Amino acid sequence: MKSPHLADAASPKKLATYLLKLPKPSMHMHGGKAESVREADYKGHHIAIRTTYQVSVDGRVLNVPLGVDNRGNVHCHSLPNYQFTSAVDMVKQLIASFPGQFGGGKRGGGHGGRHGGMHMGMPNRARRAGRKGRK
Amino acid sequence: MAVTRRNILKNATARTQYIAGVKALKQEDSGQTTGNFGIPGPSIMISTYDLFVIWHQRTMMTMTPPNNPSGRNAAHRGPVFHPWHRVMLMILESNLQRVLNDATLGLPYWDWAADGNNTPAKQKKSALWKKTCMGGSGDPVTIGPFAFKASDPASWRVRVEADVAGNLFSANRGLRRTLGAGTPSLPKKVHVDHALDLTPYDKVDWDASETEAFRNRAEGWNPEDPLAQHWMHNRVHVWIGGDMSPGTSPNDPVFFLNHCNVDRIWESWLSQNGRTYVPGNSAGAFLKGHRIDDPIASPLGGTMTPRQVLDVSATYVYDALP
Repeated sequence: MKSPHLADAASPKKLATYLLKLPKPSMHMHGGKAESVREADYKGHHIAIRTTYQVSVDGRVLNVPLGVDNRGNVHCHSLPNYQFTSAVDMVKQLIASFPGQFGGGKRGGGHGGRHGGMHMGMPNRARRAGRKGRK
Repeated sequence: MAVTRRNILKNATARTQYIAGVKALKQEDSGQTTGNFGIPGPSIMISTYDLFVIWHQRTMMTMTPPNNPSGRNAAHRGPVFHPWHRVMLMILESNLQRVLNDATLGLPYWDWAADGNNTPAKQKKSALWKKTCMGGSGDPVTIGPFAFKASDPASWRVRVEADVAGNLFSANRGLRRTLGAGTPSLPKKVHVDHALDLTPYDKVDWDASETEAFRNRAEGWNPEDPLAQHWMHNRVHVWIGGDMSPGTSPNDPVFFLNHCNVDRIWESWLSQNGRTYVPGNSAGAFLKGHRIDDPIASPLGGTMTPRQVLDVSATYVYDALP
Protein backbone atom coordinates (compact mmCIF):
# COMPACT_ATOMS: atom_id res chain seq x y z
CA MET A 1 0.00 0.00 0.00
CA LYS A 2 1.30 3.45 -0.89
CA SER A 3 1.58 5.83 2.04
CA PRO A 4 -0.29 8.81 0.48
CA HIS A 5 -3.33 6.60 -0.12
CA LEU A 6 -3.24 5.37 3.46
CA ALA A 7 -2.71 8.85 4.91
CA ASP A 8 -5.64 10.20 2.91
CA ALA A 9 -8.00 7.42 4.01
CA ALA A 10 -6.77 7.76 7.59
CA SER A 11 -7.81 11.39 7.94
CA PRO A 12 -10.42 11.90 10.67
CA LYS A 13 -12.78 13.39 8.10
CA LYS A 14 -12.58 10.32 5.85
CA LEU A 15 -12.95 7.92 8.77
CA ALA A 16 -15.93 9.84 10.13
CA THR A 17 -17.56 10.00 6.70
CA TYR A 18 -17.13 6.26 6.31
CA LEU A 19 -18.64 5.58 9.74
CA LEU A 20 -21.59 7.91 9.19
CA LYS A 21 -22.52 6.03 6.02
CA LEU A 22 -22.55 2.60 7.65
CA PRO A 23 -26.00 1.02 7.86
CA LYS A 24 -27.36 0.66 11.36
CA PRO A 25 -26.57 -2.88 12.56
CA SER A 26 -29.47 -5.32 12.60
CA MET A 27 -29.22 -7.99 15.27
CA HIS A 28 -32.34 -9.92 14.30
CA MET A 29 -34.03 -9.11 17.59
CA HIS A 30 -37.70 -8.49 18.17
CA GLY A 31 -39.17 -7.48 21.51
CA GLY A 32 -36.23 -8.74 23.54
CA LYS A 33 -35.98 -12.03 21.63
CA ALA A 34 -32.74 -13.05 19.94
CA GLU A 35 -33.12 -15.68 17.29
CA SER A 36 -30.59 -17.85 15.49
CA VAL A 37 -31.07 -20.59 12.92
CA ARG A 38 -28.61 -23.45 12.67
CA GLU A 39 -28.66 -25.41 9.43
CA ALA A 40 -26.88 -28.55 8.29
CA ASP A 41 -27.19 -31.25 5.65
CA TYR A 42 -27.02 -34.90 6.61
CA LYS A 43 -27.60 -38.00 4.45
CA GLY A 44 -29.62 -36.01 1.96
CA HIS A 45 -31.69 -34.28 4.62
CA HIS A 46 -31.68 -30.60 5.46
CA ILE A 47 -31.74 -29.75 9.16
CA ALA A 48 -32.85 -26.33 10.44
CA ILE A 49 -32.96 -25.56 14.14
CA ARG A 50 -34.41 -22.22 15.20
CA THR A 51 -33.38 -21.09 18.67
CA THR A 52 -34.88 -18.10 20.44
CA TYR A 53 -33.41 -16.58 23.59
CA GLN A 54 -35.54 -14.33 25.73
CA VAL A 55 -33.52 -13.17 28.70
CA SER A 56 -34.64 -11.29 31.77
CA VAL A 57 -32.56 -10.10 34.70
CA ASP A 58 -34.33 -9.11 37.93
CA GLY A 59 -37.59 -9.47 36.05
CA ARG A 60 -36.65 -7.04 33.31
CA VAL A 61 -36.50 -8.22 29.73
CA LEU A 62 -33.05 -7.72 28.27
CA ASN A 63 -32.33 -6.97 24.62
CA VAL A 64 -29.20 -9.01 24.27
CA PRO A 65 -27.88 -10.36 20.97
CA LEU A 66 -27.23 -13.99 21.91
CA GLY A 67 -26.65 -16.67 19.31
CA VAL A 68 -25.77 -20.34 19.27
CA ASP A 69 -23.54 -22.02 16.70
CA ASN A 70 -23.63 -25.54 15.27
CA ARG A 71 -21.50 -26.89 18.13
CA GLY A 72 -23.84 -25.46 20.73
CA ASN A 73 -21.54 -22.65 21.83
CA VAL A 74 -23.36 -19.51 22.93
CA HIS A 75 -21.93 -16.20 21.81
CA CYS A 76 -22.96 -12.59 22.27
CA HIS A 77 -22.08 -9.70 20.00
CA SER A 78 -21.77 -7.42 23.02
CA LEU A 79 -18.87 -9.50 24.39
CA PRO A 80 -16.73 -10.35 21.39
CA ASN A 81 -14.02 -12.27 23.27
CA TYR A 82 -16.25 -14.75 25.08
CA GLN A 83 -18.27 -17.82 24.27
CA PHE A 84 -19.80 -20.38 26.63
CA THR A 85 -21.57 -23.71 26.48
CA SER A 86 -24.27 -22.18 28.70
CA ALA A 87 -26.42 -19.12 28.07
CA VAL A 88 -26.65 -18.70 31.85
CA ASP A 89 -22.87 -18.30 32.03
CA MET A 90 -23.01 -15.74 29.24
CA VAL A 91 -25.62 -13.64 31.05
CA LYS A 92 -23.53 -13.86 34.26
CA GLN A 93 -20.60 -12.52 32.24
CA LEU A 94 -22.75 -9.71 30.85
CA ILE A 95 -23.66 -8.68 34.40
CA ALA A 96 -19.96 -8.75 35.35
CA SER A 97 -18.83 -6.86 32.24
CA PHE A 98 -21.48 -4.11 32.26
CA PRO A 99 -21.42 -3.13 35.93
CA GLY A 100 -23.25 0.16 35.41
CA GLN A 101 -26.26 -1.35 33.68
CA PHE A 102 -27.81 -3.80 36.10
CA GLY A 103 -28.24 -1.95 39.37
CA GLY A 104 -27.14 -3.45 42.67
CA GLY A 105 -29.03 -6.76 42.54
CA LYS A 106 -31.62 -7.95 45.07
CA ARG A 107 -29.98 -11.14 46.26
CA GLY A 108 -26.42 -10.01 46.93
CA GLY A 109 -23.27 -10.99 45.10
CA GLY A 110 -23.95 -8.61 42.23
CA HIS A 111 -21.94 -5.70 40.96
CA GLY A 112 -22.87 -2.24 42.12
CA GLY A 113 -24.51 -0.07 39.52
CA ARG A 114 -24.81 3.65 39.22
CA HIS A 115 -27.28 4.07 36.41
CA GLY A 116 -30.16 1.98 37.70
CA GLY A 117 -30.75 0.13 34.43
CA MET A 118 -30.84 3.25 32.28
CA HIS A 119 -28.98 1.45 29.52
CA MET A 120 -29.93 -2.16 29.99
CA GLY A 121 -30.66 -2.59 26.31
CA MET A 122 -34.30 -3.12 27.19
CA PRO A 123 -37.06 -2.78 24.62
CA ASN A 124 -38.78 0.60 24.94
CA ARG A 125 -42.02 -0.95 26.15
CA ALA A 126 -40.24 -2.86 28.89
CA ARG A 127 -38.23 0.22 29.84
CA ARG A 128 -41.40 2.24 30.24
CA ALA A 129 -42.96 -0.54 32.26
CA GLY A 130 -39.86 -0.63 34.45
CA ARG A 131 -40.18 3.08 35.17
CA LYS A 132 -43.82 2.68 36.11
CA GLY A 133 -42.95 -0.17 38.43
CA ARG A 134 -40.58 1.98 40.44
CA LYS A 135 -43.15 4.63 41.27
CA MET B 1 10.12 4.26 3.85
CA ALA B 2 8.86 1.59 6.21
CA VAL B 3 8.65 2.43 9.91
CA THR B 4 9.73 -0.01 12.61
CA ARG B 5 7.34 -1.23 15.27
CA ARG B 6 9.07 -1.84 18.59
CA ASN B 7 8.49 -3.47 21.98
CA ILE B 8 6.93 -0.85 24.26
CA LEU B 9 8.73 -2.27 27.29
CA LYS B 10 12.14 -2.11 25.63
CA ASN B 11 12.01 1.23 23.87
CA ALA B 12 11.38 4.39 25.87
CA THR B 13 10.94 6.55 22.78
CA ALA B 14 8.25 4.29 21.35
CA ARG B 15 6.49 4.32 24.73
CA THR B 16 6.63 8.10 25.14
CA GLN B 17 5.47 8.72 21.58
CA TYR B 18 2.59 6.29 21.79
CA ILE B 19 1.27 7.79 25.02
CA ALA B 20 1.62 11.34 23.71
CA GLY B 21 0.05 10.38 20.40
CA VAL B 22 -3.08 8.67 21.69
CA LYS B 23 -3.62 11.46 24.23
CA ALA B 24 -3.38 14.02 21.44
CA LEU B 25 -5.86 12.07 19.30
CA LYS B 26 -8.19 11.86 22.30
CA GLN B 27 -8.20 15.65 22.53
CA GLU B 28 -8.48 16.27 18.79
CA ASP B 29 -11.97 17.25 17.59
CA SER B 30 -12.98 15.03 14.67
CA GLY B 31 -15.62 17.57 13.67
CA GLN B 32 -18.39 15.18 14.70
CA THR B 33 -20.63 14.84 17.73
CA THR B 34 -22.35 11.85 19.28
CA GLY B 35 -25.58 13.31 17.93
CA ASN B 36 -24.30 12.99 14.36
CA PHE B 37 -23.90 9.26 14.94
CA GLY B 38 -27.33 8.92 16.53
CA ILE B 39 -25.70 8.08 19.86
CA PRO B 40 -28.14 8.86 22.70
CA GLY B 41 -27.24 10.91 25.72
CA PRO B 42 -25.87 14.45 25.87
CA SER B 43 -24.42 15.39 22.48
CA ILE B 44 -20.68 15.70 22.94
CA MET B 45 -17.63 16.09 20.74
CA ILE B 46 -16.27 12.93 19.14
CA SER B 47 -12.50 12.92 19.16
CA THR B 48 -10.39 11.32 16.47
CA TYR B 49 -9.50 8.60 18.97
CA ASP B 50 -13.17 7.92 19.69
CA LEU B 51 -13.79 7.30 15.99
CA PHE B 52 -11.74 4.12 16.41
CA VAL B 53 -13.99 3.03 19.28
CA ILE B 54 -17.09 3.53 17.10
CA TRP B 55 -15.42 1.84 14.12
CA HIS B 56 -14.58 -1.30 16.10
CA GLN B 57 -18.01 -1.53 17.70
CA ARG B 58 -19.94 -0.98 14.48
CA THR B 59 -17.82 -3.46 12.54
CA MET B 60 -18.21 -6.05 15.27
CA MET B 61 -21.99 -5.66 15.07
CA THR B 62 -21.96 -6.21 11.28
CA MET B 63 -22.67 -9.89 10.76
CA THR B 64 -21.15 -11.57 7.69
CA PRO B 65 -23.50 -12.77 6.34
CA PRO B 66 -26.40 -11.18 8.24
CA ASN B 67 -27.83 -13.39 11.01
CA ASN B 68 -25.28 -16.18 10.56
CA PRO B 69 -25.52 -18.50 13.57
CA SER B 70 -21.74 -18.56 14.08
CA GLY B 71 -21.68 -14.88 14.97
CA ARG B 72 -19.05 -14.27 12.29
CA ASN B 73 -18.73 -10.52 11.79
CA ALA B 74 -16.77 -8.16 9.58
CA ALA B 75 -13.75 -8.23 11.92
CA HIS B 76 -14.01 -11.24 14.25
CA ARG B 77 -14.83 -14.93 14.47
CA GLY B 78 -13.72 -15.48 10.88
CA PRO B 79 -10.73 -15.32 8.50
CA VAL B 80 -10.73 -11.53 8.13
CA PHE B 81 -9.85 -11.12 11.83
CA HIS B 82 -6.14 -10.51 11.12
CA PRO B 83 -6.49 -8.38 7.93
CA TRP B 84 -9.20 -6.13 9.42
CA HIS B 85 -7.20 -5.37 12.55
CA ARG B 86 -4.05 -4.84 10.45
CA VAL B 87 -5.86 -2.11 8.51
CA MET B 88 -7.19 -0.56 11.71
CA LEU B 89 -3.67 -0.42 13.19
CA MET B 90 -2.23 1.13 10.03
CA ILE B 91 -4.87 3.85 10.10
CA LEU B 92 -4.21 4.58 13.77
CA GLU B 93 -0.46 4.61 13.11
CA SER B 94 -0.96 7.10 10.29
CA ASN B 95 -2.94 9.35 12.65
CA LEU B 96 -0.24 9.11 15.32
CA GLN B 97 2.36 10.13 12.74
CA ARG B 98 0.20 13.08 11.67
CA VAL B 99 -0.68 14.36 15.13
CA LEU B 100 2.94 14.14 16.33
CA ASN B 101 4.35 15.27 12.98
CA ASP B 102 6.73 12.34 12.88
CA ALA B 103 6.60 10.12 9.79
CA THR B 104 9.05 7.70 11.39
CA LEU B 105 6.74 6.79 14.26
CA GLY B 106 5.90 3.11 14.48
CA LEU B 107 3.12 1.70 16.63
CA PRO B 108 4.59 -0.20 19.61
CA TYR B 109 3.54 -3.70 20.63
CA TRP B 110 3.18 -5.40 23.99
CA ASP B 111 4.78 -8.85 23.97
CA TRP B 112 2.25 -10.24 26.43
CA ALA B 113 3.65 -13.75 26.15
CA ALA B 114 6.89 -12.53 27.73
CA ASP B 115 4.87 -11.37 30.75
CA GLY B 116 2.84 -14.59 30.52
CA ASN B 117 5.98 -16.60 31.26
CA ASN B 118 6.04 -15.01 34.72
CA THR B 119 3.87 -16.04 37.67
CA PRO B 120 0.32 -14.63 37.73
CA ALA B 121 1.30 -12.32 40.60
CA LYS B 122 4.25 -10.96 38.64
CA GLN B 123 2.16 -10.51 35.50
CA LYS B 124 0.05 -7.88 37.27
CA LYS B 125 3.26 -6.11 38.33
CA SER B 126 4.69 -5.93 34.82
CA ALA B 127 6.35 -2.66 33.83
CA LEU B 128 3.43 -2.17 31.43
CA TRP B 129 1.11 -1.39 34.35
CA LYS B 130 3.39 1.10 36.08
CA LYS B 131 2.51 4.77 36.19
CA THR B 132 5.33 5.45 33.73
CA CYS B 133 3.65 3.28 31.11
CA MET B 134 -0.06 2.36 30.78
CA GLY B 135 -1.08 2.75 34.43
CA GLY B 136 -2.71 0.12 36.60
CA SER B 137 -5.96 -1.59 37.43
CA GLY B 138 -9.13 -0.05 38.89
CA ASP B 139 -12.52 1.55 38.37
CA PRO B 140 -11.40 4.07 37.44
CA VAL B 141 -7.71 3.68 36.71
CA THR B 142 -6.03 6.21 39.01
CA ILE B 143 -2.35 6.09 38.13
CA GLY B 144 -0.38 6.77 34.98
CA PRO B 145 -1.10 8.74 31.83
CA PHE B 146 -4.66 7.40 31.48
CA ALA B 147 -5.73 8.04 35.07
CA PHE B 148 -9.09 9.67 35.69
CA LYS B 149 -9.11 13.00 37.48
CA ALA B 150 -12.61 14.39 37.99
CA SER B 151 -11.31 17.95 38.16
CA ASP B 152 -9.28 17.67 34.96
CA PRO B 153 -11.36 17.53 31.77
CA ALA B 154 -8.20 16.67 29.84
CA SER B 155 -7.68 13.46 31.82
CA TRP B 156 -8.48 10.26 29.95
CA ARG B 157 -12.24 9.74 29.75
CA VAL B 158 -14.44 7.11 28.18
CA ARG B 159 -16.85 9.15 26.05
CA VAL B 160 -18.59 6.42 24.07
CA GLU B 161 -19.59 3.03 25.45
CA ALA B 162 -22.11 0.31 24.66
CA ASP B 163 -24.96 -1.31 26.53
CA VAL B 164 -25.56 -5.07 26.65
CA ALA B 165 -27.53 -4.88 23.41
CA GLY B 166 -24.57 -3.32 21.65
CA ASN B 167 -26.15 0.15 21.41
CA LEU B 168 -23.68 3.00 21.81
CA PHE B 169 -24.34 5.80 24.29
CA SER B 170 -22.34 8.78 25.42
CA ALA B 171 -20.42 8.64 28.69
CA ASN B 172 -18.06 10.69 30.80
CA ARG B 173 -16.11 8.46 33.13
CA GLY B 174 -12.67 7.04 33.79
CA LEU B 175 -11.12 3.95 32.27
CA ARG B 176 -11.80 0.56 33.89
CA ARG B 177 -9.43 -2.38 34.21
CA THR B 178 -9.64 -5.53 36.32
CA LEU B 179 -6.24 -7.10 35.71
CA GLY B 180 -6.26 -10.86 36.28
CA ALA B 181 -9.89 -11.05 37.47
CA GLY B 182 -11.42 -12.61 34.37
CA THR B 183 -8.73 -15.23 33.88
CA PRO B 184 -5.68 -15.74 36.09
CA SER B 185 -2.84 -15.57 33.59
CA LEU B 186 -1.69 -14.33 30.20
CA PRO B 187 -0.72 -16.62 27.31
CA LYS B 188 2.86 -17.94 27.40
CA LYS B 189 5.56 -17.97 24.75
CA VAL B 190 5.09 -21.69 24.18
CA HIS B 191 1.46 -20.99 23.28
CA VAL B 192 2.60 -18.52 20.62
CA ASP B 193 5.07 -21.11 19.29
CA HIS B 194 2.35 -23.74 19.08
CA ALA B 195 0.02 -21.34 17.26
CA LEU B 196 2.76 -20.62 14.73
CA ASP B 197 3.13 -24.36 14.09
CA LEU B 198 -0.44 -24.53 12.81
CA THR B 199 -1.25 -24.58 9.12
CA PRO B 200 -3.30 -23.71 7.15
CA TYR B 201 -4.22 -20.14 7.98
CA ASP B 202 -7.91 -21.03 8.43
CA LYS B 203 -10.32 -23.76 7.39
CA VAL B 204 -13.89 -25.08 7.53
CA ASP B 205 -16.05 -24.02 9.32
CA TRP B 206 -14.34 -20.59 9.08
CA ASP B 207 -15.74 -19.52 12.42
CA ALA B 208 -15.10 -19.66 16.17
CA SER B 209 -15.19 -23.44 16.40
CA GLU B 210 -12.43 -25.75 17.58
CA THR B 211 -10.78 -26.30 14.19
CA GLU B 212 -7.00 -26.59 14.20
CA ALA B 213 -5.90 -23.56 12.21
CA PHE B 214 -3.70 -20.56 12.89
CA ARG B 215 -6.37 -17.86 12.81
CA ASN B 216 -8.70 -19.69 15.12
CA ARG B 217 -5.92 -20.41 17.64
CA ALA B 218 -4.48 -16.88 17.52
CA GLU B 219 -7.87 -15.21 17.85
CA GLY B 220 -8.49 -17.48 20.80
CA TRP B 221 -11.34 -19.87 20.00
CA ASN B 222 -9.25 -23.02 19.87
CA PRO B 223 -7.40 -23.35 23.21
CA GLU B 224 -4.67 -25.96 23.25
CA ASP B 225 -5.64 -26.49 26.91
CA PRO B 226 -9.15 -28.00 26.75
CA LEU B 227 -9.89 -26.66 30.23
CA ALA B 228 -9.14 -23.06 29.24
CA GLN B 229 -12.06 -20.87 28.23
CA HIS B 230 -10.01 -18.10 26.68
CA TRP B 231 -6.83 -18.22 24.64
CA MET B 232 -4.27 -15.95 22.99
CA HIS B 233 -5.85 -12.66 21.80
CA ASN B 234 -9.17 -13.28 23.56
CA ARG B 235 -7.39 -14.22 26.76
CA VAL B 236 -5.50 -10.92 26.80
CA HIS B 237 -8.76 -8.99 26.50
CA VAL B 238 -10.34 -11.07 29.27
CA TRP B 239 -7.27 -10.86 31.53
CA ILE B 240 -7.24 -7.04 31.34
CA GLY B 241 -11.05 -6.90 31.71
CA GLY B 242 -13.02 -3.70 32.32
CA ASP B 243 -13.18 -1.64 29.16
CA MET B 244 -11.27 -4.32 27.25
CA SER B 245 -14.29 -6.66 27.46
CA PRO B 246 -17.07 -5.09 25.33
CA GLY B 247 -16.96 -4.24 21.65
CA THR B 248 -15.87 -0.73 22.59
CA SER B 249 -12.53 -2.16 23.77
CA PRO B 250 -10.42 0.43 21.88
CA ASN B 251 -11.47 2.75 24.73
CA ASP B 252 -8.39 1.33 26.47
CA PRO B 253 -5.18 2.30 24.63
CA VAL B 254 -3.78 -1.13 25.58
CA PHE B 255 -6.17 -2.47 22.90
CA PHE B 256 -3.76 -1.34 20.18
CA LEU B 257 -0.71 -2.72 21.99
CA ASN B 258 -2.42 -6.12 22.21
CA HIS B 259 -3.44 -6.08 18.58
CA CYS B 260 -0.05 -4.89 17.43
CA ASN B 261 1.39 -8.00 19.09
CA VAL B 262 -1.28 -10.19 17.50
CA ASP B 263 -0.35 -8.62 14.16
CA ARG B 264 3.32 -9.34 14.87
CA ILE B 265 2.47 -12.99 15.46
CA TRP B 266 0.52 -13.08 12.18
CA GLU B 267 3.49 -11.45 10.43
CA SER B 268 5.69 -14.25 11.75
CA TRP B 269 3.20 -16.85 10.48
CA LEU B 270 3.06 -15.13 7.07
CA SER B 271 6.84 -15.07 6.79
CA GLN B 272 6.97 -18.82 7.46
CA ASN B 273 4.06 -19.77 5.22
CA GLY B 274 4.55 -17.98 1.92
CA ARG B 275 2.20 -15.08 2.73
CA THR B 276 -0.83 -17.22 2.00
CA TYR B 277 -4.46 -16.59 2.91
CA VAL B 278 -7.69 -18.52 2.66
CA PRO B 279 -10.51 -18.57 1.69
CA GLY B 280 -10.09 -17.68 -1.96
CA ASN B 281 -12.76 -15.85 -3.88
CA SER B 282 -14.25 -19.09 -5.18
CA ALA B 283 -15.60 -19.71 -1.67
CA GLY B 284 -19.35 -19.36 -1.29
CA ALA B 285 -21.25 -16.15 -0.66
CA PHE B 286 -21.65 -17.17 2.98
CA LEU B 287 -18.01 -16.10 3.38
CA LYS B 288 -18.47 -12.71 1.72
CA GLY B 289 -16.36 -10.19 3.59
CA HIS B 290 -13.74 -12.82 4.48
CA ARG B 291 -12.48 -13.95 1.06
CA ILE B 292 -9.08 -12.88 -0.21
CA ASP B 293 -10.36 -10.23 -2.63
CA ASP B 294 -13.35 -9.01 -0.64
CA PRO B 295 -13.20 -5.39 0.55
CA ILE B 296 -12.20 -5.00 4.19
CA ALA B 297 -14.70 -2.92 6.18
CA SER B 298 -12.69 0.31 6.29
CA PRO B 299 -12.54 3.84 4.88
CA LEU B 300 -10.17 2.47 2.22
CA GLY B 301 -13.17 0.92 0.48
CA GLY B 302 -12.90 -1.70 -2.23
CA THR B 303 -9.20 -1.13 -2.78
CA MET B 304 -8.31 -2.70 0.55
CA THR B 305 -8.64 -6.49 0.67
CA PRO B 306 -6.90 -9.26 2.62
CA ARG B 307 -4.64 -9.82 -0.40
CA GLN B 308 -3.45 -6.19 -0.17
CA VAL B 309 -2.20 -6.61 3.40
CA LEU B 310 -0.33 -9.90 3.13
CA ASP B 311 2.91 -8.00 2.48
CA VAL B 312 3.13 -4.68 4.33
CA SER B 313 6.93 -4.42 4.26
CA ALA B 314 6.72 -1.10 2.40
CA THR B 315 4.71 0.39 5.28
CA TYR B 316 6.15 -1.16 8.44
CA VAL B 317 8.35 -3.92 9.82
CA TYR B 318 8.78 -5.36 13.33
CA ASP B 319 12.05 -5.14 15.23
CA ALA B 320 11.69 -8.83 16.11
CA LEU B 321 9.31 -11.65 15.28
CA PRO B 322 8.34 -14.48 17.63
